[in-house]
Amino acid sequence: MTYTFTTNDFLLMVQGAGITFLLTIIAGVIGTFMGFLVGWARTTKNAVFYYSLGAYVDIIRSIPLIIQFVLFNSFMAIAGYPMDPFISGIITLSIYISGYVAEVVKAGIESVPDVTRKAARGLGMTYYQDFFYVVVPIGMRTVFPSWTGLMLGLMKDTSLIAVLGATPPELLRSSQIIINRIQEPLMILLGAGAFYFIMCYVITHFAGRYEKIWQQKRQAAL
Amino acid sequence: MIEIQEVHKSFGSLKVLKGIDLTVEKGEVVCLIGASGSGKSTLLLCINALESINSGKIIVDGIDVHAPQTNQDQLRRKLGIIFQQFNAFPHLTAQQNVALAPRKVLKTPTKYAQALAQEHLAKVGLGDKLDRYPAQLSGGQQQRLAIARALAMEPDYLLLDEVTSALDPELVGEVLDTLRMLAEDGMTMIAVTHEIPFAREVADRVAFFHQGVIHEIGPAKELINNPQQQRTKEFLGNIL
Amino acid sequence: MFEYTFQWRVVWKHWPQLLEAGLLTLQLTILSIIIGLVIASVLAVFRDSSNPFAKYLSVTWVALARNTPALLQIYMAYFGLGAFGIHLSPYTAVLGAVAFNNAGYLAEILRGGFSTVPASQKFAARGLGLTATQSYIYITLPQVLQAVFLPIVNQVIWAMLATSLGMIIGLQELTGMTTFLQSQTFRPFEFYFVAACMYLVIAKIATMLAQIVAAHMFKGGADK
Repeated sequence: MTYTFTTNDFLLMVQGAGITFLLTIIAGVIGTFMGFLVGWARTTKNAVFYYSLGAYVDIIRSIPLIIQFVLFNSFMAIAGYPMDPFISGIITLSIYISGYVAEVVKAGIESVPDVTRKAARGLGMTYYQDFFYVVVPIGMRTVFPSWTGLMLGLMKDTSLIAVLGATPPELLRSSQIIINRIQEPLMILLGAGAFYFIMCYVITHFAGRYEKIWQQKRQAAL
Repeated sequence: MIEIQEVHKSFGSLKVLKGIDLTVEKGEVVCLIGASGSGKSTLLLCINALESINSGKIIVDGIDVHAPQTNQDQLRRKLGIIFQQFNAFPHLTAQQNVALAPRKVLKTPTKYAQALAQEHLAKVGLGDKLDRYPAQLSGGQQQRLAIARALAMEPDYLLLDEVTSALDPELVGEVLDTLRMLAEDGMTMIAVTHEIPFAREVADRVAFFHQGVIHEIGPAKELINNPQQQRTKEFLGNIL
Repeated sequence: MFEYTFQWRVVWKHWPQLLEAGLLTLQLTILSIIIGLVIASVLAVFRDSSNPFAKYLSVTWVALARNTPALLQIYMAYFGLGAFGIHLSPYTAVLGAVAFNNAGYLAEILRGGFSTVPASQKFAARGLGLTATQSYIYITLPQVLQAVFLPIVNQVIWAMLATSLGMIIGLQELTGMTTFLQSQTFRPFEFYFVAACMYLVIAKIATMLAQIVAAHMFKGGADK
């Protein structure tokens, strides 16, 4: 008996791609917010923040995502708060990506020359005015390409959480389900690869256009 | 002796040199002046075979620089070149920067090359900075390092490409002093420069470049104090 | 909350197996980086080649490696290649896929490294009479090495993390072995915790070694 690839299978993959996208956006927003706070706290002159959050960043970036995920789940279970794997999946992904975002944000803030900050303070700006009106706009433009790269990485990493059965079938998991039924791994995997490729390409393209607009604005201002 | 005969050079459709004739005798100092883009720097690179030429001839001590049978690597040992951007090798100390070419090109034993480096660094006033890396030196010091590096190859000629243009004003003097000392020692030099007072004082002759040709050439003091051509007057009037 | 008693003795009992799995992880990491670097060097050269086939191969490889998940690449090696009659062991599939992935990223790192050395450095070297080869060996290459060193170390850590995906196709590297052991003993937290510590230690040691090497090799610092 042979099985064939049906329209429904295709729709399942499209739906999977949608879930991949959704997971990326949710974890991306939460993780970027957390990472921003961590990265910023590490640039203040507070030694406690610097070293404790440095350890946070180090640990997250040295342990495989799969292990972080199962460890978090089993910890919540033994702590007496078993969690819906979908929620814990999003939490783990957010924490995971926040570690990487923190480093990028820190680099962005540090890329703003000290004289520029002194100039802002010299105009009578407070620390926070300097930070939000001068440092953030300049620094974040510098690291925007790195941040885009992190979000693409996050999108690819959502596949891990789903393979462990934690979320509704995103792209790779739904592909696996179809493979199990029709036993045509090569074609389906090529298809899934094409989906990922297109999504990455679209994000890179828009990020590139956004950057170009910035540059044009800057040139127009000169 | 460097003989430049009817040299033409273009980048694509842009004609940079349109028939340059110039002879520089041993021991002579010739300064090339003129607006940016008039072809002065390109000529230096052509003398050193770092750029090719389209037609004409450049002959250094009887050797045709751009002839196919010429060993250009060997020829460049005679011709030290120093650039506007100091181009110190950032991964090497001052001493290593200077000793590298003697060791690798002339096969001087390391010990002698190091002694040679110390000698030349002392000459340019960097005798106490042997183990510093370029990033730890000021712009003026990096440029003097570049001069010592070129001198260590014991070249017969020095080609200087706007060597003070990238320096802060207060650092220009120390580099010019070094060049003055070399001129007194009888080093043959062709220098592209915007330092007109320096040219007047140190150069034997000055050549004014305009749109790819030598518009006017003559003894330094004469040409600068009393230019004959209208363009030269305008240029000097603007810059002085 | 916390009526749970941690039992670490059971982990200790299986320590030899964990250690062995940790070594397998280390081995996969190192091999995948070496293979990746060799391929990446070729890809970086091909990228600027005048041969359209070489250029196309390089561009495609880099784009595929960077724009699809590493897990998909492992599936491709393990399940997908079956369509061509190629059946890889989990070990070979993971090694091949991670090396494929590394090559894509490392090629870009190498290209970036070469672009950090200004052309004027070569001019200066040639102006001193160094030959093209000498200028490449003594001037360009050391500066490229300095520029790519830390990014390559990051890629090593990343490769180590990626080998954990071997667990999903049944390879008993550190994560796979941990999953197997906890399923036998029903002590997931203890086992995964120890595995996490092992990854952390490997990464820390690698980073520290790299810093020592960098401090000795790259004293000049960046050219500013």
